[in-house]
Amino acid sequence: MSEKITLTVNGTKRSVEIDGWERLLDVLRDKLDLTGAKRGCDDVACGACTVVVNGEAKKSCSLPAKRCDGAEIVTIEGLASGTEVHPIQQALIEAGAVQCGYCTPGIVMSLYALFTKNLNASEDEIEDVLEGHLCRCTGYEAIWEGALLAQKLLKKNKKK
Amino acid sequence: MEFKYVGKSITRPDAVKKITGKAIFLNDIKLPGMLHAAILRPDYAHAKILSIDTSAAEKCEGVVKVVTGRGCKILYGDNIRDLVPMAVDKVRYIGEPLAAVIAEKPYQAKQALKEIKVEYEPLPVLTDALQALEKDAVLVHENSGDYWHLPGLGPIQGTNIANLYKLKKGDAEKGFKDADVVVEAEFNYPHGSSCAIEPHGAIAWFHEDKTIECWSSSICPFIIREELARVYGRPSSDVRVHIPELGGCFGYKSDITVEQTVAYIASFVPGRPVKWVASRREDFTSTLLGHGIRTRMKIGAKKDGRLTAMETRVYHSTGAYADTGIHVCIAAGHNSAGAYEIPNCDLQAYLMYTNQPAVGAYRGYGHQESQFATERMMDMLARKLKMDPFELRAKNYLGPGKKTAVGETLCEVNGDVTKCVDIVKKAIYGKKQEKKEDDKYFYGRGFAALMKTPKGAPNSAKGCYLKFNQDGSVCINMGGAEVGQGLRTVVQQVAAECLMIPPERIKVYTEIDTQFSPWEWQTIGSMFTTQGGRAVVRCCEKAIKMMKKTAAQALRVDLDMLDYNGKCVYLKNDPTVNVPLEGLVYGYMYPNGMTVGEVVQSSDAARLPRYSNPDENGQGTMGVSHTFGAQGCEIRIDKETGEVLVDHFASAFDVGRVINARQIRGQVAGGVMMALGATLHEELKFDKDGKMLNPFMKKYRFPTIKNRPKKQTIEFVETPETIGPFGARGIGEHPVIGVAPSILNAIYDATGIEFTQIPVTPEKMKEALKARK
Repeated sequence: MSEKITLTVNGTKRSVEIDGWERLLDVLRDKLDLTGAKRGCDDVACGACTVVVNGEAKKSCSLPAKRCDGAEIVTIEGLASGTEVHPIQQALIEAGAVQCGYCTPGIVMSLYALFTKNLNASEDEIEDVLEGHLCRCTGYEAIWEGALLAQKLLKKNKKK
Repeated sequence: MEFKYVGKSITRPDAVKKITGKAIFLNDIKLPGMLHAAILRPDYAHAKILSIDTSAAEKCEGVVKVVTGRGCKILYGDNIRDLVPMAVDKVRYIGEPLAAVIAEKPYQAKQALKEIKVEYEPLPVLTDALQALEKDAVLVHENSGDYWHLPGLGPIQGTNIANLYKLKKGDAEKGFKDADVVVEAEFNYPHGSSCAIEPHGAIAWFHEDKTIECWSSSICPFIIREELARVYGRPSSDVRVHIPELGGCFGYKSDITVEQTVAYIASFVPGRPVKWVASRREDFTSTLLGHGIRTRMKIGAKKDGRLTAMETRVYHSTGAYADTGIHVCIAAGHNSAGAYEIPNCDLQAYLMYTNQPAVGAYRGYGHQESQFATERMMDMLARKLKMDPFELRAKNYLGPGKKTAVGETLCEVNGDVTKCVDIVKKAIYGKKQEKKEDDKYFYGRGFAALMKTPKGAPNSAKGCYLKFNQDGSVCINMGGAEVGQGLRTVVQQVAAECLMIPPERIKVYTEIDTQFSPWEWQTIGSMFTTQGGRAVVRCCEKAIKMMKKTAAQALRVDLDMLDYNGKCVYLKNDPTVNVPLEGLVYGYMYPNGMTVGEVVQSSDAARLPRYSNPDENGQGTMGVSHTFGAQGCEIRIDKETGEVLVDHFASAFDVGRVINARQIRGQVAGGVMMALGATLHEELKFDKDGKMLNPFMKKYRFPTIKNRPKKQTIEFVETPETIGPFGARGIGEHPVIGVAPSILNAIYDATGIEFTQIPVTPEKMKEALKARK
């Protein structure tokens, strides 16, 4: 059954017709043309579809879209401002954490949610968040370094 | 040699697009009028198809067409033409395409699939190479002798043998007679998946003008082009294949995989593009697997440690179709000799049809499976000889003047294994081990040496087009697939060094399109840096020569009076007499407008020099670019959980030349992690009926960040290779080769338990510890 929901996506209010069974990922990718969040698995293992819903990192492939009615959503497309990338993105690039790039947007969004909530997250907390993201390219070394660098850059920016 | 750009950690040109989510992968592509396909998979791994009833599915909402393989005459394959786009009269594995629904929306296609009724007559199922070899085994292909295949290989009619590779060097029988000590064991490297985070997918579009267009998450656009052209009777020039960004490959997106099936489906609805993207389950069950290799090995040695003979029998459960597994199996055969000179070799590799998904390329294929055996055996042999395993290995390493198993004599430019060994030995064994055991853990250290042979094929060239722009910036277009490994940066840095132009003024292609891209065989075998890099060097040299020729005309001097510096072409004895690049790239224009000289656009290609097919004894030339390396580790084994924790993993490779320091570290760190996954966690399991038991990432136990080694030492030796750009060799696959044996050697060191199979999961470790008590 088709119904209408309203989402605020990257600061813009958008109404969209959805089918009851549709997941947020389908709506973002197929109906709102936001293809930055990716599908990688069937069992909520890979994290490539992660977006931020009302401040929380969510795996959008399993989240029923109708439950998001009225929600505030940030996707990877909402982070950079113009040609200036977000400090988390900058840090991951600098650390060499981008290889094939398929898992990257999800990782950025999880770190964004984490550091927005708690810029002083401990290494254990950062590792717990990253455990929800699978990467086949990097061996996680550069992602780990990038996450720590991101925290450092964000803290520095905050002091300014 | 001092380099300005080579060896630096420049940032990859695709980083920003990827990290902002704007890079376009296959599933992001939408085309006007695009339809969606869903594919039905059988209930049995081996069965005759008695009937398929599609009538109910055809009536479902949104359904445009239902397709079956009935009457399909298409056979395809690059090596053995045994593949079908859709099952015709029987199914041979659980993930085989059996029927497809084309619908306006993806979910409509999936819904309608449920309405298709199939009647089967089940047949016996084979899930292991040894079972398939048994005398009365059911045949997976009844008429395998009829299949077209490349000369010198192919199936044996009336058996499940899809190919039998034999290598004979010296006299193995005599070698074993001469031996004082012989060791023998069997090893198993079970099926796994490359499991890139981006699943396979393709779009096919049969246009009304009879041209065919295809988009695919593949690394072999030209093979797809040529095979589609052959099957549908079109000239290759009428088939256009696009390759967007690829979300990882690690082997299984090479060769032609899903494209023929998607094209077959789309051929029923000419005029409209049809898209199909694998679910993760389908990515496991219906694309290509890795490994599935049992290795029986026997090594003979003199008391002083000199090896006298090796006998290897590789039994490869290659799945229902052998086209993509054949090179995996052959590579496992001849690479089982590892990093050693063995005077007498008798190596055989059986490529066996089974009722499983087809095996294909997987990062390092043929090397990690067979050298897992070799390197475990070297430790076993050392113990039998009561000799230090490093000393035993050192007595037998390949090097200049030594002959490989395929009979090729190595030279200094092939690299230095001993330097790699020394680095790893120092990193892992440099200080005394503090303890072997405490309340909670056992501690162990392990080592493995390795050799990677180049992966050639007749005419396996890589092409390059280079053009200078009006402002002196440069565009380079190639057919090499960027899967994450970082080849765009390699192209950029090699070209920058050759042309003496900063990398930011060199734009590297972002997608492959067979209509515009130069020809490349396929981007496999860690060969892009070497071959592709050489093609770039050749194009750069041609472009410089063109500019010099034009400048010679303009300045009225002979060509050899001139030099080039990235900004201008100048007179050697008086650099103030010069023509800037901007005045040369489109030809030199005189004040009155008359223009002379060539437009600076160059084209070239490079292949492996003197690569040859193996002769009847498996002897031949591999095409120069061998690579040596060494890997070692320090591990801990949790006594309670059985978990193996990697405290330190060390790798050293003789890569000839580091092109991008940060990226090469990423390649090695990622490769080590991938092989740690195979060694300790990952295995695709089948039940006796050929059903895959764990086609999900979680159940496949894809490793997470918490499984990474605490510390990785990654170093490089640089013995320049003559054919690579600035001496560089490839590195993409090498880091996976020595991981399993070094970890299992360390497990033996820690516990005395002799594992010969991976993965060593916590459960298996716990069981083995219990059995030991």
